[in-house]
Amino acid sequence: MAADTLTADVLGSEASEGAGVPGAPETAGASGALTAGRARPSRRAARLRLLLTPAAVCAVLAALYAWVSAQDLDSIEQRSLNPSVILTKAAEHLEMTLAATALVVVIAIPLGIVASRSRNRIATPVILTAANLGQAVPCIGLLVLCTFLMGVGFQTALVGLVAYSVLPVLRNTMIGVQQVDPALVEAARGMGMTRGQVLRRVELRLAVPAILAGLRTALVLTVGVATLGAFVAAGGFGELIINGLKLNRMPVTVVGGVLTACIAFLIDWLGALAENVLKPRGL
Amino acid sequence: MFDTETEGARIELRALTKHYPGQPAPAVDNVDLDIPAGELVVFVGPSGCGKTTTMKMINRLVEPTSGEIRIGGKDVLSLQPDELRRHIGYAIQQVGLFPHLTIGQNIGLVPKLLGWPAARIAARVEELLSLVNLEPSLFHDRYPRQLSGGQQQRVGVARALAADPPVMLMDEPFGATDPITREHLQKEFVRLQKRLRKTIIFVTHDFEEAIKLGDRIVVLRERSHIAQYDTPAEILARPADDYVAGFVGQDATLKRLALLRVEDVAPAGPPQQAGLPQVAAGTSLREALDVMIAHGSDRCSSPSGVLTYTALCGAVGTGRPSSPGREPEAVPSLPAPEKVVAGGR
Ligand SMILES: Nc1ncnc2c1ncn2[C@@H]1O[C@H](COP(=O)(O)OP(=O)(O)O)[C@@H](O)[C@H]1O
Ligand SMILES: [Mg+2]
Repeated sequence: MAADTLTADVLGSEASEGAGVPGAPETAGASGALTAGRARPSRRAARLRLLLTPAAVCAVLAALYAWVSAQDLDSIEQRSLNPSVILTKAAEHLEMTLAATALVVVIAIPLGIVASRSRNRIATPVILTAANLGQAVPCIGLLVLCTFLMGVGFQTALVGLVAYSVLPVLRNTMIGVQQVDPALVEAARGMGMTRGQVLRRVELRLAVPAILAGLRTALVLTVGVATLGAFVAAGGFGELIINGLKLNRMPVTVVGGVLTACIAFLIDWLGALAENVLKPRGL
Repeated sequence: MFDTETEGARIELRALTKHYPGQPAPAVDNVDLDIPAGELVVFVGPSGCGKTTTMKMINRLVEPTSGEIRIGGKDVLSLQPDELRRHIGYAIQQVGLFPHLTIGQNIGLVPKLLGWPAARIAARVEELLSLVNLEPSLFHDRYPRQLSGGQQQRVGVARALAADPPVMLMDEPFGATDPITREHLQKEFVRLQKRLRKTIIFVTHDFEEAIKLGDRIVVLRERSHIAQYDTPAEILARPADDYVAGFVGQDATLKRLALLRVEDVAPAGPPQQAGLPQVAAGTSLREALDVMIAHGSDRCSSPSGVLTYTALCGAVGTGRPSSPGREPEAVPSLPAPEKVVAGGR
């Protein structure tokens, strides 16, 4: 019971983290929210926050280690809570997350570009509805459905994860490209850039902050949702959480949950770093 | 691409028509126009009369429904549009500087598209920054948002000039700046064009601006029909109809005085006469009149002679009681396409 709420907490904290990211599903709908959402607090505060996350994660990991070391672990717990198992689970979890994100990038960015073209007035609602559907259907339901179709395993988990996190990237790509000042596109065309050059050198460059914000949201979502991969035997920290629950071993569940949360925070932190580095200067 | 690569090239429009799909009437209807090489021609007319559409057909941002366009004798509609645009300068009201590129990169964009070597681009960017009065060392590496509106407009002009195109299209390029900056930019631009002698089509809805800048003015009415095409002095002196007269306004004579300089009319006589208000030879007649009124005098002195009120009136063909039947044609005629405006208000 206690472990159940803890899992929910982990997911909840990620969801609220996601909502804080500009262009998260909740805010990406209004194009205004995207630009307004990136209200610059002070630079120093932002820099401080960059140091805060890794420091906090280290502290939490240290506390977790100390706490687990202080426990009298029985043989069942020891089978789960040892470095080799935890590293394997971490690797599986990250593998799932990164593979899903890579697929999302490959799928959602081109679709977002297609949806952003004003010529595709018919395609846009179709694409958006499909992406919305992926996110509206509960992920666990989607996984069950995928299991019927493709059996259990890594690939099944991947399909569910991708369907779930395509939307933020797609929508942010679309809005990011659409919000580029039409005068810039006209100037670019008037100077003799081809349509492809305008897209690559102007529209996509200027959409980078929005796309990155969407990607960051998607990544953090994926880390959380990847815990469900355990239900289709795809491994990851979800397995620790579920095993802990099934066998009534609270420390195992806690370790699984806390490590998932730590990964989510670290990935969000990396996302923030990437945004700082990749955001075009001059904006 | 065009026969004259950097000096201005002649532009000819023949029966040019644009009918936007779904619109009841064409936006540009059967326009015929010849723009001589090296001249600055201003399109002036009310908002929505088709100025922008006419201009954008020349670089094919808008595809004509029918008609012909020739630049330097070449049929524009047979050229590849992207390649064509790289050889036509283009500046717009919103400037459209790319915020993620530095000023230097913005200016060097067209040369880069044309495949110039990096060293040549760098040299050209420096040259252009100086040309539009922006210190290269200060501005080269800045980003557009770090510049004032007027500075951005100058960069916009520099960018349009980058590949030294024979033809420039400018759509209300100074429209978004405050009046003082605008006046400053206009004066600079007149000076620049005197040196460069590009063929320029300049769109504005501001008739004052048209008078200040244009070698010739095309007054347009709806659907881009040409109401009058002539030099500023001619349009002011002899508006073709009530529509054009409406543009000229009530103070046509003052505007004409602004186009003439003291040295154009001052009769021979002892120059620099003491005791009279003094004006420079390049002063506009309008400013000279202002000086005369301010001093309560009916004459003023300049290095090229004494200018009397009578001579001043004679210059614009008015108030000569001694020769009542005098026709405006007898007015000392302007060196027509030559720019005469000295930047009078
Ligand atoms: N892309 C377009 N589609 C349909 N109608 C247009 C388009 N662009 C301009 N128009 C119409 O053509 C007319 C002329 O517009 P425009 O050339 O922009 O005038 P101006 O530059 O003189 O203000 C206007 O009535 C305008 O509504
Ligand atoms: Mg216009």
